[in-house]
Amino acid sequence: MGKTMIHKIIERSAGREVKVGDRVWCKIDLSTARDFGGANCVLQFLDVTDRKGKVWDPSKIAFTFDLQAPAHSEKVAVNQKIIRDFAKDQGIEKVFDINWGIGQHVLLEHGHVKPGDVILGTDSHMNLLGAVGAFATGVGNTDIVASWFEGTNWFRVPETMKVTVTGRFAKGVCMRDLLTKIVGDLGADGMFFKAVEFGGETIEAASLADRITLCSMVTEMSGKVGLIMPNGEVLNWLVERAGEEVRDRVKALAADADAVYSDDLHFDVNRLEPMTSCPDAPDNVKRVRDVAGTAVDQVHIGSCSNGRFEDIEAAYKVLEAGRFKVSPKVRTIITPSTREVMRKCAAAGYIEKFLDAGIVFTNPTCSLCTAEHYGVLPSGDVGVSTTNRNFIGKVGKGSHTYLMSPMSAMATAVRGVITDPRDILG
Amino acid sequence: MEKTILRGRAWVFGDDVDTDLIYHNKYLAETDPKKMPQYSFEYYPGKEHFAKEVKPGDFVVAGTNFGCGSSREHAVYCLKYAGIPVVLAENYSRIYYRNAINNGYPVLFIKGISQAIKDKKIEDGDELEVDLAKGEVKNVTKGTSFHGDAVADLEKDIMAAGGLIEYLKSRAGR
Repeated sequence: MGKTMIHKIIERSAGREVKVGDRVWCKIDLSTARDFGGANCVLQFLDVTDRKGKVWDPSKIAFTFDLQAPAHSEKVAVNQKIIRDFAKDQGIEKVFDINWGIGQHVLLEHGHVKPGDVILGTDSHMNLLGAVGAFATGVGNTDIVASWFEGTNWFRVPETMKVTVTGRFAKGVCMRDLLTKIVGDLGADGMFFKAVEFGGETIEAASLADRITLCSMVTEMSGKVGLIMPNGEVLNWLVERAGEEVRDRVKALAADADAVYSDDLHFDVNRLEPMTSCPDAPDNVKRVRDVAGTAVDQVHIGSCSNGRFEDIEAAYKVLEAGRFKVSPKVRTIITPSTREVMRKCAAAGYIEKFLDAGIVFTNPTCSLCTAEHYGVLPSGDVGVSTTNRNFIGKVGKGSHTYLMSPMSAMATAVRGVITDPRDILG
Repeated sequence: MEKTILRGRAWVFGDDVDTDLIYHNKYLAETDPKKMPQYSFEYYPGKEHFAKEVKPGDFVVAGTNFGCGSSREHAVYCLKYAGIPVVLAENYSRIYYRNAINNGYPVLFIKGISQAIKDKKIEDGDELEVDLAKGEVKNVTKGTSFHGDAVADLEKDIMAAGGLIEYLKSRAGR
């Protein structure tokens, strides 16, 4: 009987044969914590080791500062300092401070992520690293602290859902729209405890940015991880960053042709339209044109789901088609996911155009994933965002958010009301 | 041995209760678990008074996919340290499930409770009797009962040790 990707990844890490439903102890390749949750991990580790503990391997631990970078309050500043001091004491060198950007993206750009790696992080969207075939998963502080003891942790071997995607996106339509459709079709628990393999011609031709978008939203269906085996340009990019070993991993960990899946779903994107998650849940999905004309107060483009250069470029092209003007009624904020992305935006001349249009272009950070950083919405405001969650009051009590693609978001900024980007792109 | 038959009032929630509703991201910078209960369910429409009125021994009752969303362990601590002995849900989102087990905080998969909530067969303030060992939940107020499945063996062992850290320590000491 053939094996799926997650099956092979777990067997490699656990060092034994496994079957679905087994509980196994896996070796952790990278255990990470952010400015959110990181201080909780450090304080807990110090507490349970009577302040004498040494982490199992400082080279396999990383800290990233992204949720509230730079610190917006004294409390957060103190938490960030707790992490810095601990890293210094323990000899942990992978500390990506407030000047780097969103953790998973920064780790990926620095070559710290390979296919088959087992990675933990205090970020429920850690699993977007499945975009390069890594088994990354979001966990709480106790899981992180436990992994610092011996470099292992427990897992249930999940079933695998197969999702095959065919067709080409029409103008104004992109991977985010497909993802929104999938979330709407499957619902908030549509991938409950499962791993997912994305494949098919559309995925094989997709950019890394699009693969990240797709894998980041598996969490919004309560899935464990969405996996895509690197190929083509994405494989070359990854080898350049993470080394030749990546190629061997890809060969060793690809799913068998006769692998067994719990579900086999197919989506064709040829006729897909721009989609949106309406307030107040990611799975409350409609077509953008069904809610077109809705007045909005703020548009935000960024996040671990849609903050790559390609996402910002797609938004730029809509702004260009809108003659570089956004509606004065709307506050528009763009947040690149990393410093590297920001530099690319600068080199392409985009930032200047965004600023001229009256758009706020921020430092790389998570920004509007929390009500405790900039861009918070006051009660009664309606926002549009490319983040991954629009739960009740998530970015401000009494506010409501529509989630959509960077193209749809920018089209909305241009017109001041929710707008199908095809109306501007022509 | 802890007493396994518990009695308390129900606080009833729906399906897909996300972690922002349980413990809002506004308070993520908190690092002391014992200070977290004051923020429980502050953003849940109609349950804003939960933190002020909850009493130790009360139960949280919910439908499917309880605790979906963020990885924050705050969402477990804020209930555990409010004295809620167990969350009674149809099922739990995976990170919440791990966080509960890792803290030795009981988890029971209650069959049919999601539908019962929709049908108002269990409501706020109902008096419940819960036998943790047997997985039985009696709604004393309405005269109905439910059965809950226990967790798998490894999770049982981690729970019995008092949590993942304690489990690892005891294993290392062997």
